[in-house]
Amino acid sequence: MAEFEFIIGDKTYLAELKQEAGTTVIKVGDLKFSFKELSPGHFEATNNGKAYSIAAAKYQGKFLIDIDAMLFEVSESGQEDFGVDASAHAGEKDRIYAPMPGKIVKLLVKVGDRVSEKQPLMIVEAMKMENQVNSPAAGIVKAVNALVGDQVDTVSAVIELDLDD
Amino acid sequence: MNSLPTKILIANRSEIAVRIIRGCQALGIATVAVYSEADNNSKHKLLADESVHIGNSPPLESYLNFDKIIDAAKFTGADAIHPGYGFLSENALFAERCQKENIKFIGPSPEAIRLMGDKIESRKVAAEAGVPVTPGMAGCAADIDSFRAEAARVGYPVLIKASAGGGGKGMRAVENESELEAAIEAAQREAQNAFGDDRVYLEKMIVNPRHIEFQILADEHGNCMHLFERECSIQRRHQKIIEETPSVALDENLRQKMGDDAVKVAKAANYANAGTIEFLLDENGDYYFLEMNTRLQVEHPITEMVTGIDLVAEQIKIAAGEKLGKHLYDISQNGHAIECRIYAEDADNNFMPSIGKLLFYQEPVGDGVRVDSGVATGSKITIDYDPIMSKLIVHASDRQTAITNMIEALKSYKILGVKTCRHFITKILQHENFANGQTFTNFIETNMTNKPKSSNGIETYNELAVAAAAMLSSKSSSLLYSDTDDLPPSPWQMLGDWSIGSSISG
Repeated sequence: MAEFEFIIGDKTYLAELKQEAGTTVIKVGDLKFSFKELSPGHFEATNNGKAYSIAAAKYQGKFLIDIDAMLFEVSESGQEDFGVDASAHAGEKDRIYAPMPGKIVKLLVKVGDRVSEKQPLMIVEAMKMENQVNSPAAGIVKAVNALVGDQVDTVSAVIELDLDD
Repeated sequence: MNSLPTKILIANRSEIAVRIIRGCQALGIATVAVYSEADNNSKHKLLADESVHIGNSPPLESYLNFDKIIDAAKFTGADAIHPGYGFLSENALFAERCQKENIKFIGPSPEAIRLMGDKIESRKVAAEAGVPVTPGMAGCAADIDSFRAEAARVGYPVLIKASAGGGGKGMRAVENESELEAAIEAAQREAQNAFGDDRVYLEKMIVNPRHIEFQILADEHGNCMHLFERECSIQRRHQKIIEETPSVALDENLRQKMGDDAVKVAKAANYANAGTIEFLLDENGDYYFLEMNTRLQVEHPITEMVTGIDLVAEQIKIAAGEKLGKHLYDISQNGHAIECRIYAEDADNNFMPSIGKLLFYQEPVGDGVRVDSGVATGSKITIDYDPIMSKLIVHASDRQTAITNMIEALKSYKILGVKTCRHFITKILQHENFANGQTFTNFIETNMTNKPKSSNGIETYNELAVAAAAMLSSKSSSLLYSDTDDLPPSPWQMLGDWSIGSSISG
């Protein structure tokens, strides 16, 4: 038997894996799943007579799981979360990032401007679509770290705000 | 007797390039793919008989570059070019250039493209042919005052549209005057980037319509016919994501009336080749000509599935000067077909494009299931191009069966590495208003914005995901990727096993 500890969101799960009569059986909480590997990364799991087709891959320290057209991100317990995406900046309201890598096509504010919540700050173009980025909160623009036409990523803040208290 | 081309260069990429390669293969015609730097390991490159590298990833340096594409055709000895959709497909200058170079452009004449590709001119053609059009500007304008005046005349809400537009690019809905100026600027910029033409105009927005379009085929001898309708009302960001045929909104009378009007528009434009006449159908059963797309449409497969006609093959035959074949006059609407567009995007975050590498990619199979795709495991989805990865098409004997089979197909479609709209589409298909045929262009805003957390077994799913992670961890073959891995797609998984119109009997 092997034991694994995983995290989804902020919840920790314990998985117990063992071989029973030639099949892999995995217990998570009260639920028991029988697994069959169809091809590398592609599994069929059954629980209570219902079968699920699952794809799984590990990327940048995280498990990515596809079940019934839904995606799940599973982390190993104790692992540093080093994947960076736009959502990694959630809650960081004073620093504004591009939602995806792309090109700044318009900066709608300059340093010193007062902005209100939901006021458009910039327009980023990716895949030929323009995406407007709105202010997450009210405040004053402290810094604008890019120019129109610059390629930007999702790691460096494009606009910084002094938030109202 | 006109002869078909011997070798066709496909001036496009991804799923539509792959689709056209198949159409050429069916007719025994050799194929040439062109590809940019970003598409070096792409499926369309690998599937064509020959391929030519035409430049860097930005479209202007590759897929939109006349010289590079023409040079590639000459270098390989291609005697025809199929432009697909998007890129150069509705570019009259490119069609003219092909004529001049003595290379057959598989599409309508430059004159017809210019006339109907210009949304303003095409509205005039339709109106003069006696087909109803939406109220709006008679020409493009650049000054804000003209827009203000016209918006006031027809009444808000209004739409700003790119004269060269299509696919929702360069289009903005405007609810009131305060939004007007910013919307015009955004539409102009998007139009300039997408089409190299920043002219925009304004028309009244028909509130709560259905989007109904008719596929037409016309030859160079004056014959023109329609191949029934497609309903494409389910849209997000003004782009279609689910299309179906037949439409539940048309009875035989309305179908015949709209189909006849579609043919009238095509004939008035002196059109030859495959084309699509788009209409908006309002709640009173009144319809308005919206625009004509002078090319193969993204959603052409559903028409192929219910009629059994290979539209790419018909395009090639028409371009070679053939008359519409007798087989076309026997068609009927056989069963029901639905297409779902699979975009790399985050449905939980305003459909923002999602970029990355496909760590795992497996298409569904089954009776009546067709996948037109441009990707495979290892493909990279980059910011350079439209984020459509594939189109999932299901054909069944009736609408309800098609919906059920589509949901099953979506669930067994496996894609890891980018986010996709699959789950979102599944929820639309499961919605009672979709089942009832209450499909209007505001369907998503009306029915899908409040996301009730599905209570049924989300916990089970979390636990199942954890179990799958444990299963993967226990495997020595555990798929471990790093940022530097660059896997070319494996050829065995490239071509789905489908054929046109053969999925149901009768």
